[in-house]
Amino acid sequence: MAGFLLRRLASAAAMLLVVGTIIFLMLVIVPGDPAELLLSTGGGSATPEAIANLRAEMGLDQPVGLQYLNFLAGSMRLDFGTSIIDGSSIAGAIALRLPRTLEIIAAGTVLALLVAIPAGTLAGLRAGSGYDIVASGLNALLTSVPGFVVGTLFIYLFAQVLGWLPAGGYIAFASDPVAHLRMLLLPAVTVGLHLATIIFRMTRASVLEMRGHDWVRTATAKGLTRRLVVRRHILRNALGPVITVVGMQLGILLGSTVLVEFVYNWPGLSGMLVTAVEQRDYPTVRAVILTVAAIFILINLVIDILYSLLDPRIRLQ
Amino acid sequence: MKDTLTTSRRSVLVGLGAGLAALALPRGLRAQQTGGVLRFGLSTFPPSLKPFDNTGGAANTVKLSIFRGLMGYNAAAELQPEVAESYEWTNPQTLVMTLRHNAVFHNGDPVTAADVVFSLNEITKEGSTAFLKSDLAIIETVEAVDDKTVRITLSAPSSIFLNLLANYCSPIISAKSTEDNVIGCGPFTLGAQERGVFIEVARFADFYMPDEPHLAGIRFIAYADENLRYSALEAGDVDLIEYLPWTQFDTVEASGRLEMKSTLGPFMFLLFNVTDGPFADPRVRQAVGYAIERQDVVDAAFAGRGEPLYGLPNPEGSPFDLADPEHEFTYDMEKAKALLAEAGYPNGFDCRLLATATYGMHQDTASVVQAYLAMIGINATLDLPDWGSRVTAGTEGRYDIAVHGTSGTFNDPDALFSLLYSGNPSYLQSFGFKSERIDGLLMQGRTEPDVEKRKAIYQELYAAYYEEVPQVPLNWRTQAHAMTVSVGGFEALPGFLNGSTAFVLEETTLA
Repeated sequence: MAGFLLRRLASAAAMLLVVGTIIFLMLVIVPGDPAELLLSTGGGSATPEAIANLRAEMGLDQPVGLQYLNFLAGSMRLDFGTSIIDGSSIAGAIALRLPRTLEIIAAGTVLALLVAIPAGTLAGLRAGSGYDIVASGLNALLTSVPGFVVGTLFIYLFAQVLGWLPAGGYIAFASDPVAHLRMLLLPAVTVGLHLATIIFRMTRASVLEMRGHDWVRTATAKGLTRRLVVRRHILRNALGPVITVVGMQLGILLGSTVLVEFVYNWPGLSGMLVTAVEQRDYPTVRAVILTVAAIFILINLVIDILYSLLDPRIRLQ
Repeated sequence: MKDTLTTSRRSVLVGLGAGLAALALPRGLRAQQTGGVLRFGLSTFPPSLKPFDNTGGAANTVKLSIFRGLMGYNAAAELQPEVAESYEWTNPQTLVMTLRHNAVFHNGDPVTAADVVFSLNEITKEGSTAFLKSDLAIIETVEAVDDKTVRITLSAPSSIFLNLLANYCSPIISAKSTEDNVIGCGPFTLGAQERGVFIEVARFADFYMPDEPHLAGIRFIAYADENLRYSALEAGDVDLIEYLPWTQFDTVEASGRLEMKSTLGPFMFLLFNVTDGPFADPRVRQAVGYAIERQDVVDAAFAGRGEPLYGLPNPEGSPFDLADPEHEFTYDMEKAKALLAEAGYPNGFDCRLLATATYGMHQDTASVVQAYLAMIGINATLDLPDWGSRVTAGTEGRYDIAVHGTSGTFNDPDALFSLLYSGNPSYLQSFGFKSERIDGLLMQGRTEPDVEKRKAIYQELYAAYYEEVPQVPLNWRTQAHAMTVSVGGFEALPGFLNGSTAFVLEETTLA
């Protein structure tokens, strides 16, 4: 087990290094000079001298190799430096914003699980029924609607037409819990909706598959109630693959909340990334992507370890 | 097991109830919360609030609420003393300014002549990144005569020096300022902020204008997406927004609870890479000027909100009327084709048209231009990178023809200096374009004190702009702030001064 763990940790670290290097190189290649951008907004133009001065202030006049080494050394100490745009601490900004992104994902996931697992189970148990056809059809429809379209429609309906909820924005839970929850609701539902369609499909298929197994028939033949058979023999086995999919989706969600956060003006990690890319704030872009990648790799690591605990054969592979 | 199920069902019901209550509550709360704090929807979060750098319209709006300079503008866009109480030109190159006796910084210190000397030197010093560094290089000396009197000596007469002192990038800051703590003397003091989200400013009780500002404070909230910014206004999340999307002008005009203040401010134009190829020939550039039906650009890219622009972009509110039908690009396809043939391209040619996908208006403008160019045989391939790449491509000349939009900073032809003066090339200019005639006229225009002579200079510039075609003008675009009717005293400054509209924030009220 120790050997397996070490191997997995080493490969996770190697993956991070590769990701970090790719991000660094990509930003070197991407056109656009942050100093020029910063001084070129607002209808004016900056002199080449002013741009050069700002580049020096931002540390962009250092050799690329040195910048890379500084970046690696800093990242290893979890010191991402400061934003070249306004000099604020990047680690501080990530610490502030990551929980907000995770909050949307967590709230969305809980909502999705609460709705999709019962709905999917029922569809699986009653495959081919009227309910199954309607639910699966609706699910297919929702799967194909992108999050930002849902978001835009939600804002139009709930904020502009009905006036029930704010159009977007953020207020900290501590300063006004009610306002916070009202602002969380639409983004969480938007993120949850897409996840729910995946969970629904997975649950339905999984339940359908379990239903046909011999041991389910045996359990039913033994005279167990249907409820008990469903709960103990079908659901318990069917949920394994569902949990795996949810776990993998969580990593993907970190990336895909970009548009949802943008649509709702929710100041999470994604908005920070979009702004940083627009402004060519290299250190911030690198730090945010690296953080997301690290979480993604971590989730995979945890899933692998959990699997190896459930099924020892995996450790040998 | 059964118990757990009941409990969880109950907790779900309780949760739902709380959610519904939350939905029902806020209307009343919202009304109480507004008070005297104006919620202002910004188009972007200011990249920085460095007092002397120009980092965009949103930053300038916030800066004008915190910082003020020697000169300023009132709601009628009239240039007037601001931190200065009065001024006098003792000769065409010497300006003596008296500071307001009651002007104090946010730390309580009085604003003194020494602070003015410090501020102006910060702008012009070696290594500065200040927006006005090259413009204010005209200052030869700035000295404190006494605590409240400053004497500024210029190396040449300047007809626009007072406008420069009214710019949002030339505020007076305390000499005690540090990089992390810049101390201004504007109507509001900087409060809490979170990068990318909001900035709060609070009323400065010791502001030099009695009884102003009227607001208790302003909460600037950044909404990068223009449609969301408008949705937030309509949903009541904010009281006022800048850059109302053009598609919403009709809705706001028809609304009983919203209104807008607009002006023809920024303008759209085309730039050329004149280093080689067909566009090195001014006749080809003129052909482009005649080939485009400008009303179509206004209709397609700006929902009809704007006006065609046929000649030098002399802003609304300019002291001179320069219009001259002899030197304008009215839509004339035959003339365009003839010019093209004369330049040796009777069958047209292929080229790259640079714009940006970041701003829909740039992209839409490019599409209309592309369609009209095709009609005279110029086949343009659209290049639509993101804004950052667009700026770099412009600076490096990686285009044949490019769409651009901008505004000056004050209402005078001299505001076009940075767009036309070849001594300071940038992505705002045609790549490789140089004209001694235009450079000379620009220099003469800014140093000529006599108004009539200045007018003659700019009339000549109007003709030179047409003949040498450093740009092809396309259209003025209407720019609007939209607000709920509860907002009072807010006026959009006209023309190029629209970006300085935040001068009226101390007169703004909230019912």
